[in-house]
Amino acid sequence: MARRARYEPNLKKNMFVLNLTSMTDVFTILLVFLLQTYASSDVVINPVKNLRLPASNSEKNPTDAVKIAVSKELVKFDDRTIAEIIDNKFANKDIDPKDSNFIVPLFNELDKLAKSSDKKFVKEGKILLQADADLPYNTLRKVMYTASMAGFPQLKLVTVVGK
Amino acid sequence: MRRSKKVKVKHDYEFDLDLAPLLAVMVKLVPVMLISSAFVQMMIVDTELPQVVQEAIKKQEEHPNKKQISVEVSSSDGVKFTVTTDGKAKVETVPVSAGHLDYAAVHQKFVDIKKANPEVFKIEMNPSGELAYKDIIKVMDEARKSRQGIHFPIHDDKTNKDTETDYMFPEISFGNTLEG
Repeated sequence: MARRARYEPNLKKNMFVLNLTSMTDVFTILLVFLLQTYASSDVVINPVKNLRLPASNSEKNPTDAVKIAVSKELVKFDDRTIAEIIDNKFANKDIDPKDSNFIVPLFNELDKLAKSSDKKFVKEGKILLQADADLPYNTLRKVMYTASMAGFPQLKLVTVVGK
Repeated sequence: MRRSKKVKVKHDYEFDLDLAPLLAVMVKLVPVMLISSAFVQMMIVDTELPQVVQEAIKKQEEHPNKKQISVEVSSSDGVKFTVTTDGKAKVETVPVSAGHLDYAAVHQKFVDIKKANPEVFKIEMNPSGELAYKDIIKVMDEARKSRQGIHFPIHDDKTNKDTETDYMFPEISFGNTLEG
């Protein structure tokens, strides 16, 4: 009697090769797009909540400077809230009673930094100002005035690219 | 004699390119780039705040014939340009159009002023208190560069040659910051 043939599954026939070409295509396109849109800047600017920056056609990249953000509700100094804004006006507690343009907490912070820091941008008096697009000049002027008084006359206005 | 065996070259040989390592690199690279890339590109507009009043007076004393250009911007009255030469001021105004600042007319006025004063690169801006920050930035944009491909003559002191630039007034300072 003939012996029964041993069952041997044909592994070669059952194996399939995953076609990666299309997936590689997708990743290549994605990588090229990301490389093109990659914005390289030495300075990291953290967006502030409820702050809409104005658009500008300026082509200058941000430089190292003291960061001040002025939204419709508050003033931030290096990510710390230092003053409040209500209806485009600074809270009375933050304004010097003798000088309506003088923001006391902002001056104190800038003055403290100017006295303690050896950084070049501090010595040069550079400020990166992020301000809400709808804020009136009256509000911003107080920030500029106080900064100027504290020895920070070089103001760099942060904008977004676009029209 | 035994004939040597002819080497057969298979011309229709096909091979599959192993894309797996390439894909592995991309799979790692794409998330890294997605996380680290900034999709909102931020730029800065340079400006200088007025230094102490004494410095300005000193400069004026040093250059008594220097031309000075100041721009007053108001959302109700429009943009008022004042060009002061030898103490004589020439005032021109671009009124508001349909309740808004007429940016095209403002840009044209800046071009005209630059054509007449190619040596001036710095202007003083005095926005009114109620003017929105975005409007100030727009006026600064209109003043910075010529959009119409117009170039203005400029003398390069290093090479001692005359050249051209599309920059009009890249240096803008706020003049009324220290006012009470």
